[in-house]
Amino acid sequence: MKPFLLKWFQTMQVSWSNLMVYKLNFFLQIIGPMLVFFFIKLSLWSSIYGGYDYVKIGGYTLSEMLSYHLWVMIAGMIIMSSTASNLSEDIRLGKISSYLIYPFSFWEFHAAKYLARQVIQIIIALITIISCYFLLDRLYIAFEPVSLAIGFFVALLAGYYWFAANYLIGILAFWLDETWTIMVGLQIMTYFFSGAIIPLELFPETMVEILYWTPFPYISFVPAKILMGHIPPLLPVIGILSFWSLFITLISYLVWRKGLSLYTAAGM
Amino acid sequence: MIFSEGLNKNFKIYRKPPGFLQSLKSLFYREYHEKQAVDSFDIHIPKGKIVGLLGPNGAGKTTLMKMFTGIIIPSSGSLKVLGYTPSKRERAFRKKIALVMGHKSQLWWDLPAMDSFNLLQRYYEISNADFKQRVDELSDLLNVTHILNIHVRKLSLGERMKVELMSSLLHKPEVIFLDEPTIGLDLIAQKNIRDFLIQYHKKTGSTILITSHYMADIDALCSELILIINGSKRFDGSIKQFENLLGSEKIVNFSFSKPIENENGVWQQFKAHWNHDNTQVELSIPEKQMREVSQKILSEYPVCDFNTDKMPIERVMKTLLENPELAGPYR
Repeated sequence: MKPFLLKWFQTMQVSWSNLMVYKLNFFLQIIGPMLVFFFIKLSLWSSIYGGYDYVKIGGYTLSEMLSYHLWVMIAGMIIMSSTASNLSEDIRLGKISSYLIYPFSFWEFHAAKYLARQVIQIIIALITIISCYFLLDRLYIAFEPVSLAIGFFVALLAGYYWFAANYLIGILAFWLDETWTIMVGLQIMTYFFSGAIIPLELFPETMVEILYWTPFPYISFVPAKILMGHIPPLLPVIGILSFWSLFITLISYLVWRKGLSLYTAAGM
Repeated sequence: MIFSEGLNKNFKIYRKPPGFLQSLKSLFYREYHEKQAVDSFDIHIPKGKIVGLLGPNGAGKTTLMKMFTGIIIPSSGSLKVLGYTPSKRERAFRKKIALVMGHKSQLWWDLPAMDSFNLLQRYYEISNADFKQRVDELSDLLNVTHILNIHVRKLSLGERMKVELMSSLLHKPEVIFLDEPTIGLDLIAQKNIRDFLIQYHKKTGSTILITSHYMADIDALCSELILIINGSKRFDGSIKQFENLLGSEKIVNFSFSKPIENENGVWQQFKAHWNHDNTQVELSIPEKQMREVSQKILSEYPVCDFNTDKMPIERVMKTLLENPELAGPYR
């Protein structure tokens, strides 16, 4: 293996060992909220529909709506790994000093850590898909290998975007004492504008048109739809997502350089 | 090895009065002022030396260390370590240095030290054979073979410091920066760390820069030392020179079995300091007269105990910390 791959792989391994120490913590922080969120939406939409499956809202029957939210949750598992709060803490408490000395960068370290968690979450997502396939009525869950493959691919791209956005917010800690407020702000905006609560078909049309140019729909709505078997033209999806990912990575790079010149390694 | 000229570092700090409203206000308006942490610092440390960096808290020692390792960027001045400019943080440079911080762990807290070592092996691209040999050698020297598979958080401070040291030496660094490596350790643990460093240095000839508040560390390890007070250099030279910085007299303590009439006799010319009941005296005797004066006192007075300064460096340091102006500007 190439040395740089070994570095990444070993970092991922250490992250896994660390996750094993905090299994319960991991479950409660990442998987727990996803499940809770899913069940809240389940009961919310069930009562909105009044339990009737012939009612259509925004083109969705109740079972289609529930199936949509199931896929949103699965997409979330693939995309949204740990947030940037521990990253900010590393900066504020001067813990990044070690990573300024090791011949492995802070960015690489956090990317590898993110990837490590993502791998575990993808396994959980696969288990969820398989168990849904066997446990639920086939109506709830479309199971087409092609759309699953494309859906996973788009979700992985979106996963990188989500990492980059969180990384950027995390390193704002060079200036701000508390970055979690921004992070929560981004999360709430994402939940709403990504279609994770209400599918985008129910949004005003002009708003949706604008939203398509932002990264939000690609976090939930688009991958969930693809996983369900509705494949949109892929070029704009990949194009817009890649643009935002690269754009944010570039800004992170500039912010990092500027931040480092201010860094005082407090508490080191 | 380490070479700097006119090195400066200013920190911008802002004051925030306590309270939430003030926090809100500080988002929009901050009153900054500059603090000069390091002031036109020249340093030259040749290869293979162990040099002590001394100074009171907040003098700028750690700031210097941070600049030497490339963690923070100097405000002005030139700095070369091993021929590299540290703030560029090239990987080739980073592979040749190590930093050990006594009050901060660099290991993974929740995993055994060996897991961290494996990670570092990859980061520093150490071959498996080299790595194994290195781990065996160092764990043997430090006597830590039995604790490498225990979670770091369960180790005692002394044990943790040893594995901490070990982790930063795996890649055979050419320059090692030790920031208070013995802080908080008991006497035996301190001695163990010192002995290890002496042995390690003898074996590898690496260059070591060490800060410590324990003069015993400096006395045992360093051949030369640099004193920094308020960000500027006040002394740079051998330990011997440092000991004689405030005069070359020897400090001798005498205890007597009964109070002494101290009006006349040898006392006054040697700057005598008496205790309250005149049973103990501290004299500053010029080195040449040492034998003669001591003999005289021993034979003429009821001396029950006497001793000379065990660590003159500690006394000099203490005097300088109390009266920094005695050190004078560095020539």
